[in-house]
Amino acid sequence: MKPSAPNLPMRQRLRQGRDRLATALITAGGIGVIAAVMGIAVFLVVEVMPLFWPAQSPGVGLETLWLPQDLAGLEAPAYRWQPTLGDDGGPLFSLTPLAWGTLEAAAWSLVIAVPLALGAAAHSALFMPRRLRARLRPTLELMEALPGVVIGFVAGLVLAPWLERHLGLALALLLLLPPGLLLAGGLWRQLPARLQQRLPLGWAALWLMPWLVMTWLLAHWLGPRLESLWFGGDLRSWLEITLGLDYANRNAVIVGMAMGFAVVPSIYALAEDALSGVPRSLAEGAQALGATRWQTLWRVMLPAASPGVLSAVMIGAGRAVGETMIVLMASGNTALMTANPLDGLRSLAASIAIELPEAAPGGTHYRLLLLAALLLFAFTFLVNTLAEVVRTRLRRRYRRLGGPS
Amino acid sequence: MRWWRRESGRARLPRGEGPWAWLSAGSVSLSLLLLALLLGLLVSRGLGHFWSADVALVTLQDGRQLAGRAVREAPLPGGSGRERLYRTGNRDLDGAIWDWVALTAIRDVDYPQELVVLERRRWSEFIGRLVALAPEAGPRLEGEAAWSALEERLLELEARREAIRELREQTILPLVRRLEREGESEATQALAMAEARVAELRASLAGASLVLESVSGKRLIQPLEEVVRARRPNAMTAFDKLVAWGQDVWRFLSEGPRAANTAGGVWPAIFGTILMVMLMSLLVTPFGVLAAVYLNEVAHQGRLTRLVRIGVRNLAGVPSIVYGVFGLGVFVYGIGGRLDSWFFEASLPSPTFGTGGLLWASLTLALLTLPVVIVATEEGLARIPHRQREGALALGATRLEMLTRVVLPMATPAMLTGVILAVARAAGEVAPLMLVGVAKLAPQVPVDGDFPFLHLERKFMHLGYHIFDAAFHGGDVQAAMPLIYATALLLVLVILMLNLTAIFLRHHLRSRHGTLSSY
Repeated sequence: MKPSAPNLPMRQRLRQGRDRLATALITAGGIGVIAAVMGIAVFLVVEVMPLFWPAQSPGVGLETLWLPQDLAGLEAPAYRWQPTLGDDGGPLFSLTPLAWGTLEAAAWSLVIAVPLALGAAAHSALFMPRRLRARLRPTLELMEALPGVVIGFVAGLVLAPWLERHLGLALALLLLLPPGLLLAGGLWRQLPARLQQRLPLGWAALWLMPWLVMTWLLAHWLGPRLESLWFGGDLRSWLEITLGLDYANRNAVIVGMAMGFAVVPSIYALAEDALSGVPRSLAEGAQALGATRWQTLWRVMLPAASPGVLSAVMIGAGRAVGETMIVLMASGNTALMTANPLDGLRSLAASIAIELPEAAPGGTHYRLLLLAALLLFAFTFLVNTLAEVVRTRLRRRYRRLGGPS
Repeated sequence: MRWWRRESGRARLPRGEGPWAWLSAGSVSLSLLLLALLLGLLVSRGLGHFWSADVALVTLQDGRQLAGRAVREAPLPGGSGRERLYRTGNRDLDGAIWDWVALTAIRDVDYPQELVVLERRRWSEFIGRLVALAPEAGPRLEGEAAWSALEERLLELEARREAIRELREQTILPLVRRLEREGESEATQALAMAEARVAELRASLAGASLVLESVSGKRLIQPLEEVVRARRPNAMTAFDKLVAWGQDVWRFLSEGPRAANTAGGVWPAIFGTILMVMLMSLLVTPFGVLAAVYLNEVAHQGRLTRLVRIGVRNLAGVPSIVYGVFGLGVFVYGIGGRLDSWFFEASLPSPTFGTGGLLWASLTLALLTLPVVIVATEEGLARIPHRQREGALALGATRLEMLTRVVLPMATPAMLTGVILAVARAAGEVAPLMLVGVAKLAPQVPVDGDFPFLHLERKFMHLGYHIFDAAFHGGDVQAAMPLIYATALLLVLVILMLNLTAIFLRHHLRSRHGTLSSY
């Protein structure tokens, strides 16, 4: 665009001026918006900094935050998060139990979500007909959209009391599900070919549902018998007496189940993308050499797509670490440091949600909670960036291998 | 896996897919089953709450009688036999509203027609018999006459309550605020008149009372003005019940909460959620589109832009509570505190903008959903073929004209998808709101007839927070459970609807651009 020459008509110059003005505005606005969003990190860092100047907040340092402290009345050094009242009068700030609780909750939710999500991704990438897959995706997206507060409510007030009453049934279900599915596979192979065609493996996700319900009924019958046979009639007291595990009503396993449920769709979507993005030629080559579809997946597609699957799990972990309402409602919020999965926990995010409205702005407690937020921010941002980088690399690799067809 | 592949010692081509295929198929059906279970639970409990189920009159072996609705059954702690939980109401008479009864202790279960269920403002429901209706003046009515008179009186009461509410909201509250601002004026007189009218109406409410008797024989005098509605479930036909169900659902949607959020409706929460989300989308749409247009159309496509793009994308994965912290620190304490000390010094130290409120909540959620809108809009912009832009420029359009006449209209569905996804995400977020302005109970909705009509500094109620509050801060959680289910169902329905719209739009968009790029 040339600078406006004097012989250009007035109208033309007006248009160009307007264009330049609009471009400047868009640039300023765009940069401003992006800066505002990025400002979150700056704000957190600036607010947290005074915490580490000894003059501003005495008694807070890296050691007191992360290492066990000698406390009056206890023999061994311990971790304590008691922001309002300590045993000897002063507040006790140790972030370790909160970080532990966060990681524990995230770990349990991944234990539940990863097998489910990856299994679902493998099944839909390998066996499902295109029509069914096109339906499954939005369904699981709807599952992702379920608000955390609803899942947390169901987990904390419905699932937790139910599980407390039906521990035996839950155990029986856990033991019966995998063999039940394998049995379904074995029976299916015995079916006459015509029936097999009526119930193809591609639609197994749907016709297995009644089978699962039957498994559940069987577990319902078996659970109490199992409990009386192995655990003297009461699994809960057996756990307490024999293994020394306290059973808290709302515990890490409940959190894991609820949050696992919430995380499944996001892991599934990314893993399925990675798997179905593997160039067709690779899979077709393997199948032409006589491999079954599952062998193709295991030996050919998975090695090719493994970075993508890994990044899916990482994104799931990032989501699990930051999820607030589910942990808040399903965990009991006790800042404990135990490896017992049946005990309560308190996460960083839940502590922020509960305590920040009450903390005096500018005080040590306030800044510590901001530090917790900064930790969450840094962790999720790093994990997501890493996952994004991995995914970009993967896409480039697929393009090199022949592109998604 | 061996036994699967080898038979009779000779390697054969595998016919099946091996055990893992079945486990993976099972994980799909398990996920779907769990989703169906959760939705089914919400729907059945949420909608079932409004059904006026029959009230059982249970006679025990020892002669004791109780009336209530069966809730569930469970095995007895000892392991022999089962017990049943009845919701018997009558908290003021019995001290509790639940009764566990062992099945073996029940002699007889009957459903007599005359049992009434009263919904009251205090002590929640009453289940028992209506003995008489004692009006302010005149003779006592008994038996069937009392029941028909009660139904009539309740309708009348409803109308008067409505009149009081209207007077208070449309006349008294604005007058009070005017008085606060201007001091003495003719408003005082108007206010006194309105208040006298309310007092008069209120007095006309009081007076009549009901004589009630629980099935165990305890008598109770119940002032009529405390009664919200009365039903005789056992005497109702299925059609009556359906009509009553519809009425109750409507009440739930249109009334305010009662009894510390454990009874009544959720109207202020619905209103607050919708208003907050609307404000948020007003804020997020222009800024999100601006940033996306800048990133995709104006900025130099170099390394820095790519980094910024990845950064924005990753902000979508940052936990929502972190945004809440930012909102509290920057908007509420930072900007809000500054605004207070500049413009609202008179009312300090009680904060005006320096505390959580509607404006700060919508701003925080706008920030939270900004990445969603940016990413979606950018995807839409990137989908538009370059020849469209080049064609426009070649015909002499400036860049602004190219953007507003060609590119943006084509990217509209993508923007819309982004905004709807943002709205769906924002409607379900509760954690950041707990920091920046949601309230347990805010009887005044943030919109009224008083200037400036929309009160951005007020706190508001929110469906998600209502669930959290009723579930974890209420007294009797068991009694509040049906209501929480209903609220949760409502929230899920709203969000599912928004998401379905987004999915539909995206599908529509894909097919449209599919034809477009094949030109």
